[in-house]
Amino acid sequence: MGYRISVDTGGTFTDMVLLDEDDRFHVGKALTTSDRISEGMFAALDVIAEALGKTAKTLLAETDILIYGTTRATNAIVTRKTARTAFLTTSGFRDVLVFKEGGKHGPHDYSYDYPQPYIPRRHTFEIDERTGSGGDIVRPLDEAQARTVVETLKARGFEAVAVSLLWSIANNEHEAKIGELIEEIMPGVPYTLSHRLAPILREYRRASATAIDASLKPLMQAHLRRMQSDLRDAGFAGDLLVSTSVGGFQEIETLVERPINTLKSGPAMAPVAARAYAAVEHMGGDVIVCDAGGTTFDVGLVRDGQLVYSRDSWLGPLWTGDIIGASTVDVRSIGAGGGSIAWVDPGGLLRVGPQSAGSVPGPACYGGGGREPTVTDAALVLGYIDPDYFNGGRLTLDRAAAEAVIGTLAATLGKDVDETAHAILVIANELMIKAIGEITVNDGVNPRESVVVAGGGAAGFNIMPIARELGCETVILPRTASALSACGMQYSSIVFEATRSRFTDSAGFDRTGVNAALDEIDAELLAFRDSLGIAAASEVTIEYFVEARYRAQVWELDTALSKPHLDDDADVAELIEAFHRTHDRVYAVRDDESPVECVNWKGRISIRPFEPPPSPDPSDATHAPDAATTRDCYFGDGVRVPTPIYRGADLTAGAAVSGPAIIEEPTTTIVVYPGMSARLSVAGDYILNSL
Amino acid sequence: MSEPQTTLDPVLISVMANRLDGIVREMTNTLLRSARSAVISSARDFSCCLVTGEDELLAPAEGLPVHIFGCHIQTANMRKYHEGDIRRGDAYLDNDPYGGNTHPADHTFMVPVFWEGEHLFTAVSKCHMADIGNSIPSSYFVRARDVYEEGALVFPGVRIQRDFKNVEDIMRMCRARIRVPDQWYGDYLAGLGSARIAERRLEAFCEKYGKDTVKAFMREWLDYSERRMIDSIRRLPKASLTNKGKSDPLEGMLPDGLELTVKIDIDPDAGEIHVDLRDNPPSIDAGLNTSLGSATSAVVGAIFNALDKDLPRNEGAFRRLHFKYAEDSVVAAPTFPHSCSVSTTNVAERLVNITQSAFAQLGDGHGLSEGGAGLGAGMAVISGRDLGRGGQPYVNRLMLSTNGGPASAEADGWVNYALPVIAGLMYRDSVEVDELKHPIRVESLSLVTDSAGAGRRRGAPAQQIEYGPTGAPMTAVISCDGQHHQPRGVIGGLPGTAGETWLIQDDAQPERLPNVAHVTIDVGQRIRGRDSAGGGYGDPLDREPERVLVDVLEGWETRQKAEDVYGVVFTGEIDDETLAIDAVATATRRDELRAARAA
Repeated sequence: MGYRISVDTGGTFTDMVLLDEDDRFHVGKALTTSDRISEGMFAALDVIAEALGKTAKTLLAETDILIYGTTRATNAIVTRKTARTAFLTTSGFRDVLVFKEGGKHGPHDYSYDYPQPYIPRRHTFEIDERTGSGGDIVRPLDEAQARTVVETLKARGFEAVAVSLLWSIANNEHEAKIGELIEEIMPGVPYTLSHRLAPILREYRRASATAIDASLKPLMQAHLRRMQSDLRDAGFAGDLLVSTSVGGFQEIETLVERPINTLKSGPAMAPVAARAYAAVEHMGGDVIVCDAGGTTFDVGLVRDGQLVYSRDSWLGPLWTGDIIGASTVDVRSIGAGGGSIAWVDPGGLLRVGPQSAGSVPGPACYGGGGREPTVTDAALVLGYIDPDYFNGGRLTLDRAAAEAVIGTLAATLGKDVDETAHAILVIANELMIKAIGEITVNDGVNPRESVVVAGGGAAGFNIMPIARELGCETVILPRTASALSACGMQYSSIVFEATRSRFTDSAGFDRTGVNAALDEIDAELLAFRDSLGIAAASEVTIEYFVEARYRAQVWELDTALSKPHLDDDADVAELIEAFHRTHDRVYAVRDDESPVECVNWKGRISIRPFEPPPSPDPSDATHAPDAATTRDCYFGDGVRVPTPIYRGADLTAGAAVSGPAIIEEPTTTIVVYPGMSARLSVAGDYILNSL
Repeated sequence: MSEPQTTLDPVLISVMANRLDGIVREMTNTLLRSARSAVISSARDFSCCLVTGEDELLAPAEGLPVHIFGCHIQTANMRKYHEGDIRRGDAYLDNDPYGGNTHPADHTFMVPVFWEGEHLFTAVSKCHMADIGNSIPSSYFVRARDVYEEGALVFPGVRIQRDFKNVEDIMRMCRARIRVPDQWYGDYLAGLGSARIAERRLEAFCEKYGKDTVKAFMREWLDYSERRMIDSIRRLPKASLTNKGKSDPLEGMLPDGLELTVKIDIDPDAGEIHVDLRDNPPSIDAGLNTSLGSATSAVVGAIFNALDKDLPRNEGAFRRLHFKYAEDSVVAAPTFPHSCSVSTTNVAERLVNITQSAFAQLGDGHGLSEGGAGLGAGMAVISGRDLGRGGQPYVNRLMLSTNGGPASAEADGWVNYALPVIAGLMYRDSVEVDELKHPIRVESLSLVTDSAGAGRRRGAPAQQIEYGPTGAPMTAVISCDGQHHQPRGVIGGLPGTAGETWLIQDDAQPERLPNVAHVTIDVGQRIRGRDSAGGGYGDPLDREPERVLVDVLEGWETRQKAEDVYGVVFTGEIDDETLAIDAVATATRRDELRAARAA
């Protein structure tokens, strides 16, 4: 067997993980080269090749599978470099992308403008037609008018077309016809039809998904094909797969038809990694995954060994950004990290964020001109960071600068510098505690019965007190924590979803109609499997879900079906009972008297073309390692205490330390607070516990 | 100013405040997602908060501004009515507009939270119910001459649970009188569930921190909030502001509408704002009277619009606001048995507008223009029978189209504003969801070009909707107060257009309806409603031409209006993407317009 490589290209860094023939991970990092992504990839590969004593070319030639995670689509949207896209919708409803779904942040805040729609109104065209909620044709498609519109699009040089008509989910005739007109009049111009991409109820969500997808097609098709040829040119002869927002990956041929699925694909892999790490350490079940970077803190969940999905994922802020509409792994992001700025408000309380020093100018200790005290400055002052060994010694930090800015804040508060720095960390933790609290509560997960998997370069500073506050006893912090998403890809599968909207309720359940929808889903999933170039004989699993709610509710909950077909009333009753249980878990109430409405039906196929790395046998044997040095650190009890400092490279499986202690890994620092302990497992993960 | 007299570590205060905020957010999320009626789950017409055991508002969620004031009066009444007989496991329902509540449609669920035998908190969720047993199928009844004609079931601090079990007598009363009782019960479960979740979390909170620390925290958090309020008021100029505005007429009852007055004295030295609401008409024989809770909330919310954006909104902040009320008035002082059925909208909307625009008298940079007002056809309460579902009845409030928001000194108006009392917090209904839930069809729904109040910052444009029933006739109750008096601009900004409603049988001859209408729409007929647009802020001739360019490109304003009102002249065309500002012609045009004004 050859190597397997996974790559996560972030906005700043490209993380690469290589799995060798002995099932060991090797991590390489390099700066992302956004002009030509493959260059950054090859630079990261060089780092690994050097460590293995080989050349990058040899490694690549000996690689069977390369999984590529990209932020290309996200960046294109942020920088507004997507295709010039026309949006076609039902006559009378041109403002669906303007109106979005409502909601506003801050009832008394009138300081910001209403957002622009994803596709401008002047690129929006109304089609004379109307389908009713039952799929009935209220107003037939005016083909002549539609033809005129498409000819106009051609004349005006649109590069992509998004078509989302009202009720195309109930009857796709009109959308399909417009698709034919586009193929006829504008052959070769990519387009997306809403009923094919995201056949879900709610016109804004469907339209937004369709618009985003179409606008990405020209760019992502070119990007992925170029990546393919760059890799071929570099001697790669294996299979290229691309990771997606459903926590899996797909072949390029599939993805160029649905490039929207590459959005948020990086964060979506963190829960995949977390699930794998928890399983390796025999701590499966409910897992909270935290990925702490320099400016954002991402939280995701694994519930009962399963990934958690959402249709409420936005590009940009909730409500005012653009909803992705497609189902994605539910990962919430808050603006909090090492760069968050501490300040004192007019009422005299210390606050942290939401302003951030980012990476430029960055925290004061970076020496880049930052003048505001940040969380990283606080960690440095407290002794948690070795100023000469930050990021593996690649950046020397200015401790005096950190002390100066925190000293100013301390004077305002009437506290000493250590107390102030400690207070900054405590308050920064609060933001993260609330973020974790919200996602767990939303999904009915009890943090006290969950394990935390932490990743990202900044997690080690504070994950233990955060977990303790939430009542989680155990934190897993993998040695490869800084490349959590890339690691996740190594444990992932080909994942593909098919959806049908078929509305019915338990008071008069349309079993025939639902089974027809499920059959269509099955057919689509199996056709997808058959289309795959690799993995013909791979292990396949299919799960089925319904998005359901009580009658008159507006928001649905995902409820799993235990089988692919509802054979009789007992099967329906079981499904309805499963919904009641889900509602009870999430909202703490069930209403047995109420009819249950079923809205969208969904199938998710997972195909595993390769085996994940095996888990090593666990061992409880521990030993006390020798500290590399000691440093005086402050943990909030009024005095600094001499604290042993361990170098991660010196530690072997079974090494166990009790707090206070600090473990320095090249890309992360783990603070073991007093009253806590850390142990290095056989698999290479730090297991952190409250004593 | 009281100096900080902190006995708790300020870091602990921040941490505890954060935890309480997490609890009210959880209450909000639970209620939002599990409620049945669209008025709660879509329109977000509900609010959650925590009140101290001594009846001080401690921590509100980010809820509707019109709910912010009054819950503490309701909890005080609950304690008074049930003195000596309140215990863990109880829950109470209050919707009495004469007892601190906003209006009868807002069912307020109160759960007293005990720790070590002491009543430390009351968890409160206030939900606008789709139906409350009124004599007409709407929870808004503008023309109700008194509470008896209004017909709402009123629960003055009534116990609805003991030992965590429903008081079934009350449930039967509600089921016997409320339309679509299952929908009410579903919303009851959601509202009560939200308060019960808070109870669980608060008990854990008390266990973690201990009673003494919790009590000290409550005191210090309110003191901190007061300090923030003082600081914010101190940065305003000293001034006495008086502002007036008019409400729409009510056919056959109030031909001239009501003239409303708000007087505001800002005393930065004392860090106080005094509000005088006495100069207002006496109570009227209609549902337009505003309760103490609604009217005060409307004004308090509008004052917060003029202060720092992130002030804590609680009793500590309220200590710095002082109100004077009349003995008998349509504003904040109704006399029984006058009806307060539409107390949270109509007059309350005007109060928000009058108050927030009064602050613009302080000069450029202060206050807001008036926002679009009125529950138009897109926010009507519709009802009827659903033939596709065996003729079962339905009743619900729509949130399909909304008014345009006001402009500020910095930003253009918010499109999804809804009403001054909602301030953009609501969700819009999905057309597909509404068509699925009810036998209706929406024909069109779009922004209205050239409707926005022009200004350096522009109000948000109006929206227009047209819809009708598909199977059987439908009743629509429209309680609009936004069709006669346009939302005004400030600091030289122009007014937005007013709303209108029509009944359409024949497209050539739409029949204009009055602003308050209770109509039956037959199959084949449609109702067309246009909402109002927000007023502008500042002189339209000072609007950056780049902003006008976007407005014209996007069809929010026409090229003609750009030239006539904003004085911006373009070259090129929209369709071929060549539209561009003609800087020279624009300068000339603006000079001409300024000269014409001076003449």
